[in-house]
Amino acid sequence: MLELTGLSKYFGGVRAVDGLDFVVREGEIVGLIGPNGSGKSTTVNLICGVFPVSAGTIVFRGRDITRAPPHQCLALGIARTFQNIRLFNELTVWQNLWVAQNSAKHRRERNFLGRWVGGRGQARRSVERHLEFSALAKKRDELAGNLSFGEQRRLELARALAAEPDLLLLDEPAAGMNHEEIGQLAERIRSLQGQGKTVVLVEHVMELVMGVTERIAVLNFGRKIAEGPPAAIQADPAVREAYLGTGAKV
Amino acid sequence: MDYLYGLAQTIGVHTILGLSAYVVLQTGQVTMAQAAFFAIGAYISAMLTTVWGVNILIAIPAAALVASVLAGLAGFPALRFKGLMLVVATMALGEAVREFFFNFDYQIAKGDLKVGPAGAEGFRQIRYFYERGWTTAEVALFIWMFVVGIMALLWWMDRSRIGAVLRAVGEDELAAQSVGINLTAVKVSAFAVGGAIAGVGGALYGHYTTHIEHTAFGVLMATFAIAYPILGGLSSVFGTLLAVLFIQGLLIQGLPMLIGGELRNLLFGLLILLAMNVRPRGLIDGRVVRMLRGLFSPRSRHA
Amino acid sequence: MVLVQAIIDGILVGTTYALIGIGFTLIFGVMHKLNLAFAAASIAGAFVSLLAWQQLKDLPVPLVFLVAAAAAGVLGYLIYLTCFRFIPLKSPLATLMATVGMLIFLEEVVTHISDGKAQNFPGMVPEARWVLGPLDLRVDYLLVFAISVAAMLLLLALLYRTRLGIATRAVAQQPVAAQLCGISLDRTNAATFVMSGVLGGLAGAMIGSSAELLSNLLPLQLTVKGLIVTVIGGLGSIPGAIVAGLLVGAFEKGLETWSVLARDLCVMLLVFVFLVAKPAGIFGKLNVRD
Repeated sequence: MLELTGLSKYFGGVRAVDGLDFVVREGEIVGLIGPNGSGKSTTVNLICGVFPVSAGTIVFRGRDITRAPPHQCLALGIARTFQNIRLFNELTVWQNLWVAQNSAKHRRERNFLGRWVGGRGQARRSVERHLEFSALAKKRDELAGNLSFGEQRRLELARALAAEPDLLLLDEPAAGMNHEEIGQLAERIRSLQGQGKTVVLVEHVMELVMGVTERIAVLNFGRKIAEGPPAAIQADPAVREAYLGTGAKV
Repeated sequence: MDYLYGLAQTIGVHTILGLSAYVVLQTGQVTMAQAAFFAIGAYISAMLTTVWGVNILIAIPAAALVASVLAGLAGFPALRFKGLMLVVATMALGEAVREFFFNFDYQIAKGDLKVGPAGAEGFRQIRYFYERGWTTAEVALFIWMFVVGIMALLWWMDRSRIGAVLRAVGEDELAAQSVGINLTAVKVSAFAVGGAIAGVGGALYGHYTTHIEHTAFGVLMATFAIAYPILGGLSSVFGTLLAVLFIQGLLIQGLPMLIGGELRNLLFGLLILLAMNVRPRGLIDGRVVRMLRGLFSPRSRHA
Repeated sequence: MVLVQAIIDGILVGTTYALIGIGFTLIFGVMHKLNLAFAAASIAGAFVSLLAWQQLKDLPVPLVFLVAAAAAGVLGYLIYLTCFRFIPLKSPLATLMATVGMLIFLEEVVTHISDGKAQNFPGMVPEARWVLGPLDLRVDYLLVFAISVAAMLLLLALLYRTRLGIATRAVAQQPVAAQLCGISLDRTNAATFVMSGVLGGLAGAMIGSSAELLSNLLPLQLTVKGLIVTVIGGLGSIPGAIVAGLLVGAFEKGLETWSVLARDLCVMLLVFVFLVAKPAGIFGKLNVRD
């Protein structure tokens, strides 16, 4: 579904991502892990078109999207969340989802005028399913900026889903969450798979990554140093040295 | 009575000026070019009616269209700037347009009169309303038809998805891109819509003052254009109207009667200062809007 | 030759633009906010010194300059208190608008003091000229240049050699970390406003003195020029502001030899084109954090 070939990004002399080859298959949940500054977030930003790619290609469903701007990537079916929450704080919860209805599916279902000018009532109903899924239905008229931290994290995910993507890139969705919230998140991610979505999970919290992913790639200094099922990654000495050796517990 | 109608004209035109900046400000772009598009609207419509004898109902849309296209074109390079850079770039653009009209001469003889823009002297004798015998009240009514129309349009836009998208762009451009919003399209459209509104405002302004000159369209007018919506708050079009009433009606017209014209601008500056300290998000901010909505639609009240 | 002469004159007087640009840039560097009232405050300072000169007959010119600098410094502090100190950080538009209010207020003060027309201002060395080969230099322009350069050197010494200066730069780079190190944000910010105000007041007095006239239109004119200099030089860059100040000065005087009427039109168009081509300015970094 998504193929990264020789993907590289240089910031001045720093090679943030350096010749990364990685393939994501339809319907799977893959993890992307690595120590701080290993290039995980940069990879997400490259896939979404936020940064221009220095070298290499990104192919999504057979289509070269290496130079596609962010809004085109979304229209093709790639949505993302942010590591540091970036909601539209002055909009209400449901409006945050409303503005995200920009995918090809939305375009097909409703014509230009309908999408931009259509009534509020219908628009409110159209996001209801995602609000329910993220347990935010009660907060629909609250300003996003007034939500608690956990709710904001859920709203980020809901907003990404509101774009009806096929591929979801989650950038550290569990950061700052407690054990119970991580459990709920894991369940949600698994049920996304049930809905036919493909998920790339960039994460620090091993509890989550090891729990939900089927395959993990490990980055260090912008290069892939290992790839395999969670159990194999946990046992990999190179990974231990680069990452787990620094004291993180599994 | 004529004094009041005159005041209504001023307030109407300034409201349109403020609303033209309102749209652009919602996308988070502080523009100082609105006075320029206002000037373009004024000059073009006045030339159409006075020099070429076109009907005003055609001249106003034509002026708005030209201002809108130019504003859209200006929006493209402006995409490269943010914050202060945008303020200064649009200010330079606005001043360049003003200087252009300062150097702009195009006069033709009409009867025993020479009409048309004459450089530093300005464009005199825009007598469209006068020639047709419109009273001050009729002109004021004509202007307010446009004010109400534009406000209704923007009010409806605010409540549609367009409004939400504009605000989303204004708040976080990266996040907006990532939910599939085409920044270029949104920002350029905002500029174009703002330009069109400014063009209408300028056209009306030119015709009711009957005399335009470049000095009127300077930095001060550009500042007023953004001052109204910021002071009034970007949550509602009524904020802009309220701010214009407050500034033009109360401070500029009302105060001189109470305390004499001497201190007017001094107080004006101080009151803006005070207002921003007390209400940093404008007179009508999000909370007021929600409160008012709650009053009118009890349905949306819940825990 | 006329052109060369004009450009040299422009560079000499351009140092006052540079001072105004530095003022804008300093405040922006520390607060990451724009103080639109800065140039107006500088000119208001000059007008205070004008009042002093009118009241105390024959006040020597150096003292007039000092009064202008001091008055503008005080105004700088007042602007900080009224437009920045109490407005929440999250409302950048509110601070911008507050400084606009201040700009309008100060402009009106100037209009009152000046009675709505340009006022005589004491010259430094009227009519003195220094003929150097084919060049005919005005001595007061040379003095303006010398005083401006001295003021800039003093500022740099202050910024790089004193504790206050180091604190200022620390706040500009990492406000949170600086606070954690025990630097008072409030005091540093206030000091920046006073410092830039003093520079501005000096520049304002010199602009008046070299023309022997203090125009009531200066607050707005100088605001526009100062912002242009700041932005061309690159936001927050002091060397940038200096180079840009000289550039704008030279350009203006150079264009004047061609057409006075079209001068400003050309300057503004050039500014716009320059910014489109190089949005970060001469010395600026495009990516201003986050």
